[in-house]
Amino acid sequence: MKTIGLGIALTALAGTVHAAELGAVDEPIKLAVNEWTGQHVSTHVAGEMLKAAGYNVEYVTAGYMNMYQAMTDGELHAALEIWSSNVSEEYAKHIDAGGVTELGDLGLDAKEGIAYPAHVAEMCPGLPAWEALKECAQNFATAETLPAGRLVDYPADWGTPGADRMTGLELPFKAVPAGSEGALIAELRASTERKSPLLITFWQPHWAMSAYDVQFVELPAGEDACFTDASWGPNPNAVNDCDFAPTRIFKASWSGMEDKWPAAFEILSNYTLDVADQQPMMGAIDVDGGSVEDVVAAWMSENEGTWRPVVDAATK
Amino acid sequence: MSAITDAPVTRSRLTIGTQAALITLLVGAICLALEPVAPWLVKWPAAWVLPATDWVGTILTSVLTTMKPVARGFSALMAYPMDWANFVLNGTPWPLVIGIVTAVGWYLGGLPMATLGFLGLSFVLASGYWSESMNTLALVAVSVPLALIVGGAIGVLANEVPRMKNALQAVLDIMQTVPTFAYLTPLLLLFGFGPVVGLIASAIYAAPPMARNVLLGLERVESEVKEAAVMAGGTRLQQLFQVEIPSASTQIMVGVNQCLMAALSMVIIAAVIGGFNDIGWEVLLTMRKAQFGEALIAGMVIVVFAMVIDRMSGALATERKRYDTRVVWGLLGFAVIFTVAFWTRLPAPSDLTLLDPVSDALDNGLTDFTRANGASLDAFKNNSMFYVLLPLRIGLDQAVLPFTWGFTWTSNMSTGFFLTGAAIGAVLAWRGHVTRGVMVLIGFGMLETGVSNLPWPFVLTGAAALGWVAGGPRLAVLSAGLLSTILVSGLWDRALLSLYLSGAAVFACAIVGGLIGLMSAISPLAWKIVRPICDMLQTIPLFVFLIPVLMVFQIGEFSAFLAICAYAIVPMIRYTRHGLVNTPEEMMEAAIASGATQFQIMRDIKAPYAAPTILLGLNQTILYAFAMLVIAALIGTTGLGQSIYLALGKADIGLGISAGAAMAILALVADRLVQGFAEERRKALGL
Repeated sequence: MKTIGLGIALTALAGTVHAAELGAVDEPIKLAVNEWTGQHVSTHVAGEMLKAAGYNVEYVTAGYMNMYQAMTDGELHAALEIWSSNVSEEYAKHIDAGGVTELGDLGLDAKEGIAYPAHVAEMCPGLPAWEALKECAQNFATAETLPAGRLVDYPADWGTPGADRMTGLELPFKAVPAGSEGALIAELRASTERKSPLLITFWQPHWAMSAYDVQFVELPAGEDACFTDASWGPNPNAVNDCDFAPTRIFKASWSGMEDKWPAAFEILSNYTLDVADQQPMMGAIDVDGGSVEDVVAAWMSENEGTWRPVVDAATK
Repeated sequence: MSAITDAPVTRSRLTIGTQAALITLLVGAICLALEPVAPWLVKWPAAWVLPATDWVGTILTSVLTTMKPVARGFSALMAYPMDWANFVLNGTPWPLVIGIVTAVGWYLGGLPMATLGFLGLSFVLASGYWSESMNTLALVAVSVPLALIVGGAIGVLANEVPRMKNALQAVLDIMQTVPTFAYLTPLLLLFGFGPVVGLIASAIYAAPPMARNVLLGLERVESEVKEAAVMAGGTRLQQLFQVEIPSASTQIMVGVNQCLMAALSMVIIAAVIGGFNDIGWEVLLTMRKAQFGEALIAGMVIVVFAMVIDRMSGALATERKRYDTRVVWGLLGFAVIFTVAFWTRLPAPSDLTLLDPVSDALDNGLTDFTRANGASLDAFKNNSMFYVLLPLRIGLDQAVLPFTWGFTWTSNMSTGFFLTGAAIGAVLAWRGHVTRGVMVLIGFGMLETGVSNLPWPFVLTGAAALGWVAGGPRLAVLSAGLLSTILVSGLWDRALLSLYLSGAAVFACAIVGGLIGLMSAISPLAWKIVRPICDMLQTIPLFVFLIPVLMVFQIGEFSAFLAICAYAIVPMIRYTRHGLVNTPEEMMEAAIASGATQFQIMRDIKAPYAAPTILLGLNQTILYAFAMLVIAALIGTTGLGQSIYLALGKADIGLGISAGAAMAILALVADRLVQGFAEERRKALGL
């Protein structure tokens, strides 16, 4: 009897070589919920996957810019959607100090660029080719920017990519920092409703892309050489005379996670989400007024084939 | 004839005001003349900037790291009352909460107060934000006692140890003027993530009104009362707690009321950190989506809380009358029965969406408004920018362009402009107003160069000169000294931009607010309309204003200017009206008896009498304008407010604290100058 029991235990042990231990299943894993809907979707999908693996998950609201100290302190355990374009310098500090660990790419295919609501194409013939902006800059001029056109740039704490493009391409536009995401959206909304001109630095996936029919200006491809070699690109005298460098969207966790919840660590590391999946869920929430929980639950039951293997690989 | 005009000239030439104005003019003129050869007079060279922000960062980080264990212990301790308050408020069924508030309202203020409580909380319920609101209330329920204890202790200490009074008052000023965003990062480092940081931030902001009122109350206890306590042979502690504090209770209750309001106004700031799904977080989310209707509804929840708490604690503080307790028990009993009978059939509060049509309607209303009035609003904005704000910021010599004014500003025009100023000044001086004449010339000079291009020696001299006139040599040294710390820390350019924006807003508020205040003083009907608007503007989270302003006027200074005005105009209106309405009866009677017309009474009796009160209102307007500057940075301004956000994003403690301190310095200097002038007026009136 005893030997049989031992044999079963040994086979069980052999079976778990590739799968990780669950770890402290009684203690809740705290996932950071930041200020935008796309992140809510990414986080809730990951959270439901962890629950399916047998974990206890808690969603905690957290300011995107300031959450890394909390992750180092082990008060937040993972953030599932961090954008390289506007990640705060604090993140790098905590990665260096070892308190936060990166978990690899989320797999969302993001794009940033100089954009405009569709109706603006009529005010500047030749769009979406970037050369068209040279001729019609004065159509975008306002009191603050005369005689140059006005480009609404990211909030100052996300950097000044729009202003860098204008300088690099020698376009007669002056960049005005927006101050907040709400300000960017308000600009898009006002421009669409009033049919007024607008050139704005924007990104996708974002619900406003379809809500306000936002189009990107076509810029020369953003190759590495463009950012280091002035002679590259249409302007032989400057760097940044091209499109935005591709944006990475990645995940990060508290560095103690691998020891405390090994399987959860593996699930989150392998977790990816596609734009084609995230964008419709964002629409269902922001445009149709659904709750995050319901929309994600519906997606989870319809797409079990997508996420179940990731959970099984870590636990079985 | 000539003897009469000469006399005041010679006399006024000796006044401090004239001397100060002349010195300022001289420094300004020298700077202007030397500008081409010595550009460092206008722009403080980067090489001279002390790396003060780095020092501040290094020192603070090491201090904070040593304090961290203690602070974390405190955090863990505060988590208990937080959890209890949360458990009680969220665990109690909503009909019961509404019943209790209605019953308390009845007990304190009868039918009107009970109605207010009932309708207010019903609104909260209908908005669908019930549980978020209860989280917010839990935060306030813990932060207010904390603020009351800290504020009360500071007040008592200032009363007991007179030598420390000035120092403590400076501490209170700092607590109120350094923007909260500036110290969020250090707080996060100290106390860790979560609602405790928000709790502490709101306690820091809410404690000063309590401290000030406790001090004022204790100072006003009549000396006979104090002596009686001494003669009864009580120890100092007995005297304080059994005699003096009870006799100061009315004033202290005013402090409690103010403390509650201040704590509520900070909940939105706490939400920026997160860790807590409260109503402030909802406002932030809706603001991020530029959903005006929803943001307004969520903001109104805070306004409703503020109104209910304000009116009820106000009644507790001032009214002695209490209402029938039988009704109280009746209301509570009804609430319990209702809960028991219907609880299983009642919907969860988060499923209620009764106000969704309202928020949709608000949103559509905003859309229609921007669409219908787009062109005329643009014209209004452009005119204000071209002819007022831009010249003020960068000066006529740069603002006047063929695109905007239709011609180029030439150096001949500059000369002509200066000559006009000099001529007006000379005429004024010749008629006996030397100071005014010099001031006119200074004003013309500032308009020519623009506030953001003012030479720093001129600004420092000007501040010192104003300080000298308003409060003597000490104030002069204080003003110039504090301002020069901004200069050497390298934040000067940004400080001037902030100064320009808030200065323009204060100026506009003083004129428009003063006129509205005057109107409200003359016509009670006007006041009936203006008052609730003032209440709402003061308690609604400031973020909510930003969406409509942005939608209509786009990102930029003009939007920021309007947002600041919307908030800062309120004290100007209130104090102007208050000052004008409360003229002593005997003065009015004397005026009426001597046959003065309404206009004469207003000009010669009420206005001069109200001057100190109006100056106090101006002082509050200045402080409010600086407070709003940080929020306005969310629209996209480039002054100190933006630095504070940058620092918040980078978790740069040095930059955050330095920019916050620079903002506080500007506010403090302005505050002291205005208070100095108010004091002078009060003395002149014999008050």
